[in-house]
Amino acid sequence: MKRTVSLLFIAALAALLLYVVANMPPMGDPANPTATHVIPRYLENAEEETHTENVITGIILNYRGYDTMGEVTVIFCALAAVLAVLGRERRGAIEGFVDRSEVVSSTIVRTMVRFMVPFILLFSLYTIFHGESSPGGGFQGGAIIGGSMIVFTTIFGLAESSRRVPQRIRAALEGAAVMGFFLVGALGLLGGGEFLTYAWPKVAPGLQPSLVVWLTILVEVGIGLGGAMVLTSILFAMIREEEIATAS
Amino acid sequence: MGAWRHFPILMITVPLLGAVLLPFLGYLRESWVPHVALLPLGFSTVLGFLLLGRIPSDGYLSYHLGGWEPPHGIEIRVDYVGLFLMLAICGITLLALVFSRHYISKEVSRGRRTAYFVLFLLMSGAMLGFAATGDIFNLFVFMEILALSSYALVAITGNRNAVRAAFKYVLMGAPSSIMVLLAIGFLYSATGSLNMADLAQRIAESGYTEVLTVSYILFVIGFGVKAALFPLHMWLPDAHSIAPSPISALLSGLLVEVSAFALLRITFSVFPRGAADLIGGTADAVGVAAAAAVLYGGIMAILQKDLKMMIAYSTISHIGYIFLGLTAFTAEGLTGAVYHMLDHGLAKACLFLCAGNFIYVKGYRRIEELKGAWRQMPWTCFAFALASISVIGIPPTAGFISKWYLILGNVRGEKWLYACVLLIGSILAAVYCFRVIYYMFFQAGREGAWEDSWNDAPPSMLTPVWMLSLGTLFFGIFSYLVIPSLLKAAAFLL
Repeated sequence: MKRTVSLLFIAALAALLLYVVANMPPMGDPANPTATHVIPRYLENAEEETHTENVITGIILNYRGYDTMGEVTVIFCALAAVLAVLGRERRGAIEGFVDRSEVVSSTIVRTMVRFMVPFILLFSLYTIFHGESSPGGGFQGGAIIGGSMIVFTTIFGLAESSRRVPQRIRAALEGAAVMGFFLVGALGLLGGGEFLTYAWPKVAPGLQPSLVVWLTILVEVGIGLGGAMVLTSILFAMIREEEIATAS
Repeated sequence: MGAWRHFPILMITVPLLGAVLLPFLGYLRESWVPHVALLPLGFSTVLGFLLLGRIPSDGYLSYHLGGWEPPHGIEIRVDYVGLFLMLAICGITLLALVFSRHYISKEVSRGRRTAYFVLFLLMSGAMLGFAATGDIFNLFVFMEILALSSYALVAITGNRNAVRAAFKYVLMGAPSSIMVLLAIGFLYSATGSLNMADLAQRIAESGYTEVLTVSYILFVIGFGVKAALFPLHMWLPDAHSIAPSPISALLSGLLVEVSAFALLRITFSVFPRGAADLIGGTADAVGVAAAAAVLYGGIMAILQKDLKMMIAYSTISHIGYIFLGLTAFTAEGLTGAVYHMLDHGLAKACLFLCAGNFIYVKGYRRIEELKGAWRQMPWTCFAFALASISVIGIPPTAGFISKWYLILGNVRGEKWLYACVLLIGSILAAVYCFRVIYYMFFQAGREGAWEDSWNDAPPSMLTPVWMLSLGTLFFGIFSYLVIPSLLKAAAFLL
């Protein structure tokens, strides 16, 4: 009974959505509302107005920066939700953690990881700092740092890994993305503009391009650091939970 | 315009900033977190009160983020109704936060307390952003913060039932978020815009009627789940009754209201009068669902044995009230709906916090266990009685004023049946509320269930409870300060 009702509901919903798709503006038509209303200005003026060569970065950090501020808050919120459900370790508890389930990995793997991780981190910095001129940016760079932490932690264990990134640093930087946005936003107010104005009206026009670029990079670095710390903290909380579950 | 035009954005972002700074404070001094968490919300509340009187009832404050004029940039648009709701959010979240400090020390384990306050601030900031935004995608972003933090706060005690309730909430909440996102996508594909005011114009000119109609239906389903509109309410009773009481107060007193407010925005600011043929049928269906909600919630509330369950079902009933006010499509109905968001928020938050007091002091959850409670906890019992009177809608409380306008609005809209349903809903409310009051004051409890001397909850828990219940009285007696402006603002929206 329940299954039939759910199937019927899903079928009805699918029919409704297909009906809409059939009636939507044709895909890729240059006369579409999506292609004629807001987009042209972004494509034509973004480089000049936001001083970023990468139009996507210009849109997500500048034109619609407030949305992105909300999105990085969602990422931070995901971490807070994980810590609310799993609980955060007591201060300093995790550094003395004994890994029970540690599989002793071979010297080859350990050496390779030790060799690779610095290069992965270097690449993530490149991705973060070049976000305003090429594909990439804070989100991608942060995810790469998080990935390197996952690799390092699976090979060297939680205790070793959390000595490298102690709770003190994680707790301070988990919200770096939101802090970066707030800082740039508040500076915009002080510079005589609105919240999240990158080009301060009170600054001489000649200085504005470099000001905007530096503020954009500041935001990118915040997003990268914050994202990396959020991923690391989620990883640590989950491993810890797993260890507790297997220990008991 | 002076510096005050920056106030709404600061009201929204300062709690978010506070939330991201708290983990480090939690690392250094965990015991300071509950106190420091008050600062950002207090700051927002002060700014909110400073905004009073600056926004005319037939106008709005438009703030262009980053200096980009809409539709290219994001707009914050605070009108009189929006400011009214933002002040209600500030006040209720602040009181619930004051209440939390003692209560949390009993229900939430140590490693999770910082996360509790972080999520609390995120939720408050997101609600403020949600109420103020003039951009439809921005609405979605804040809805996500709101949803994610509320799932986690339901589960925060970590016991099996709480996790199960939270999971049920996620299972219903996540698809509803996707529906809202799809609806926004459809709107964008048909109009090319995300700004609400701009959308209103472009919808009137757009030829894609099918896309727009389905988009509205998806909005109704999506926000209907978030607002727990019958029959999409299944997650609410468990989640609201199992969450820690201050969180129940927020979920029941604010979250469902702001979701209803989002649908109000979509209905009146995005799909304007000219699009009545697009949304007419759906709006009628919402009216039927809302009327069913009033009756279903009321009857289920009477049948409950658990106090918090009863209050949760009462919320389902009252969400029906708010939606009936919206679907009346009259200024009176809209005024009643918005005023009901405020007084239901105050009264429900108060009832849940009272239930929290009983749990904190005695660990009692069942209604039967409250027999004779007033001998030991008179302050809590009297506050509970006062808030109940507002829930029923007896003058001079605010509940009476809002129900009056809701019924008046439905009569003006010639929806006689709904007016009757609203009256019956009040009778049902009287039944379930008076039963509890009767048990508290006029029945002798089990031997030894209650002490004979006064031993109520600590002052930091009683003060919020009393401020909320006196708030219902204040907004009942001094409703003339707000109602005329609300009527004008509602007429402006229509």
